Amino acid sequence: MPFSPLQRRAATILLAVAGFFALDGLVFRTGLYTSILEPESSTGTFEQILRREQHAQSRYGSNLIVTLGDSRFAYYPRVANQHAAENGFFFRQAGVAGTDARTWYYMLRDLDPTRRRYRAVVLGVDDYDDEDGAYDIGDDLATLHYCAARLRYSDILPFTRSFDSSHAQWEAFRGSLLKGLVFQRDILAFASHPVKRIEYVQLVNRGFEEWTYGYVDSKKNVVGLKIDWTNMTATMPPGNEAVMDQLTRFVLYRSNPQTGHHAAFRRKWFGRLLDYYRGTPTKVVFVRLPRGPIPRPDYLVHKLSSSIREFASRPGVTLVDEHAFDSLETPELFKDAFHLNDAGCSRLSQMMAREVSRLVR
Amino acid sequence: MLFNTTQFFVFLAVVLALFYLSPRRPRKYILLAASYYFYASWNAKFIALLLTLTVIDYVAGIWLERVPPGPRRKAVLIFSLAANLGFLGFFKYYNFLAGNLALAMGRPAHSFFLQIVLPLGISFHTFQSMSYVIDVYRGMQPAVRNPVDYALFICFFPQLVAGPIVRARDFFRDLWGWKQPSADDVARGVFLISLGLTKKMAFADQFAQVANAYFANVAGNPGALAAWSGVFAFALQIYFDFSGYTDMAIGMAKLLGFHFPINFRRPYLAASITDFWRRWHISLSSWLRDYLYIPLGGNRGGHLKTYRNLMLTMLLGGLWHGASWNFLIWGGYQGALLSIERLLRGEHAVDEEWNWSYPLRAIVTFVLACIGWVFFRAADLKQSIYVVGQMFHGSAGKLLLEPWHFELATLALILAIGEEKREWFERAIRAPAPIYACALTAMLFCLEIFAVVDAAIPFIYFQF
Repeated sequence: MPFSPLQRRAATILLAVAGFFALDGLVFRTGLYTSILEPESSTGTFEQILRREQHAQSRYGSNLIVTLGDSRFAYYPRVANQHAAENGFFFRQAGVAGTDARTWYYMLRDLDPTRRRYRAVVLGVDDYDDEDGAYDIGDDLATLHYCAARLRYSDILPFTRSFDSSHAQWEAFRGSLLKGLVFQRDILAFASHPVKRIEYVQLVNRGFEEWTYGYVDSKKNVVGLKIDWTNMTATMPPGNEAVMDQLTRFVLYRSNPQTGHHAAFRRKWFGRLLDYYRGTPTKVVFVRLPRGPIPRPDYLVHKLSSSIREFASRPGVTLVDEHAFDSLETPELFKDAFHLNDAGCSRLSQMMAREVSRLVR
Repeated sequence: MLFNTTQFFVFLAVVLALFYLSPRRPRKYILLAASYYFYASWNAKFIALLLTLTVIDYVAGIWLERVPPGPRRKAVLIFSLAANLGFLGFFKYYNFLAGNLALAMGRPAHSFFLQIVLPLGISFHTFQSMSYVIDVYRGMQPAVRNPVDYALFICFFPQLVAGPIVRARDFFRDLWGWKQPSADDVARGVFLISLGLTKKMAFADQFAQVANAYFANVAGNPGALAAWSGVFAFALQIYFDFSGYTDMAIGMAKLLGFHFPINFRRPYLAASITDFWRRWHISLSSWLRDYLYIPLGGNRGGHLKTYRNLMLTMLLGGLWHGASWNFLIWGGYQGALLSIERLLRGEHAVDEEWNWSYPLRAIVTFVLACIGWVFFRAADLKQSIYVVGQMFHGSAGKLLLEPWHFELATLALILAIGEEKREWFERAIRAPAPIYACALTAMLFCLEIFAVVDAAIPFIYFQF
């Protein structure tokens, strides 16, 4: 039966929509655009680390232990690997500053598609108990920007549904469907200086492994910091305004209402991670990281649950002793309110390598 | 409900579905209900105002047809025009006049101010309504008997809030002789909606961010480069914003079986100010010509009267946009340019030929238009004078535009020249399916990578 002109036009419009998705797929889902992303952007950093770790897999063989965490999980793999001859394990760091369990899931899925590339996956967390903070981690759209390049068509709905508010769900939906929307700023910057960008990407690609493996953190410390938890005030020697700002914004607060959102988020995303490795030889190890130069006292908040401790009952899941790194929680070993300094990183590297190797062996 | 929102596209899809799934008779009721819903989504209170003006002009139209020529007939016309201009004057110009009166009396400017919210699109539907009444008075348009038809003419949602200003004869020709849109109409409609959306979201909104940042803090961005960046960005913003809206309005109307006139014809390719006004906001320019300039005498009373008529028309055209000295000066500036051009080039407007001097003349025209846009965009007269001063006497300053802004502008220029000389868009619409599909695909992709999606930047002409 011949089609009417109107039906043919309608088919042409559908063809245009199909063509658009094909073009979008070609540019943003094949690695074509990802290869020229600004290396210091959220997606660019994520992709650089992913590529670096994929290369490392072939170089280091089968005794790899990969760590994932945010910027607080700062340690030196080169220091941790000094004892590789004794314990037989090589540590690699696939953590990305500012990320959470949702991002780590997408990182690991592409880093370890066979689920057999790592002897252990170490996940660094700030607390084994679940404390609801000031903002809803479930709605953190930064995840979209970190793992945009990793999202597949089949991820669109589950990824969208993993956000709590309808606004975040809508952004996650459109961003995972049309990645060009997420990369817009990057594309505009690329359009402004394309040659410079390509040269910079090539430079970073050449030296990323070397720079990051040999990275040395700041030697600054926060000696002199005093916190009065009763009045929620802190004092520091002059010249530490940035640290004071961090403390005021993120440390010196009365506890937030405990809603259970954080626990739900952890159960969901750590749960997916553990399910991913269920039945495989890869162990999953949780590490409670040093919390700060002067950690918040436990009495400030009554934590209702401990999802990580619940996970410990699963086969293949291990928790490093919660207090294993308490000795690092001093002003001498921190460069600000959250992050270890050079000496702190070195100490953590040695201690963590020892503890994890012992548990994995 | 902005045209560039998901909410609006859902609304449009529902309207199209209801329209085409229902029998032919109730279709205009569906359009009327949809149009009032669309208007009410902004501010339901002003539906009453819209209805009042609709009733006044509907009744006036019927009276004008019944009453024989003479003073009574004129009185009906004056009553209708007074009602329209009265409402428009109150909502749009009261505070402007009250402020100036207070200043003249030596009192604070806000002494007589009222908290007035400007009804959406009042300038557009008032002018459309007035043209109908004047046409009936002139015997050029039969009075509309069916109140639903007339109400739809006034509030038809694709062009209700920002035009194009549609003449009654064109609208009722389509309404009374409604024909199922052809495949070509559908292709054109979808193409124009995509083109309009691309113009608005990928071009206008990108330039808007620069223009808004500059005009929000002119003192913080001193220098000629900064001033020219801000003004250049606004010149592109307003064109892409308004012509994008119009393209969408025309495209939507096409999908519903209505044919609106074009409103823009690549105005920044104009090689003279006269040519610019033949290409910019054509429906308003022709309205002003037919209902103001020609009734004032047009160019029939000698040079001086022609210049006076041009000045008066453009001054009122400026005031139509808004009640401020800035708009008045913008209108006066355009009137002065038109008069000077007429003085220099004689009475007969030249057909602009593409020759070696054309690009130069087009650049001069664009620069003159940009200077005018300063008054259109600046917050007040003081800011306008400061910006113009910076453009011509400021230090070098900082360029606010990124290289990709110039790439976007160059792409737009190439497309405009292609459309002007080779009718690229028209050809794409009529082209075989693969080429048409490629053009749509390109626009969708352009939207994906350039559209500003996180900041809802309203259409500029919605405020008029």
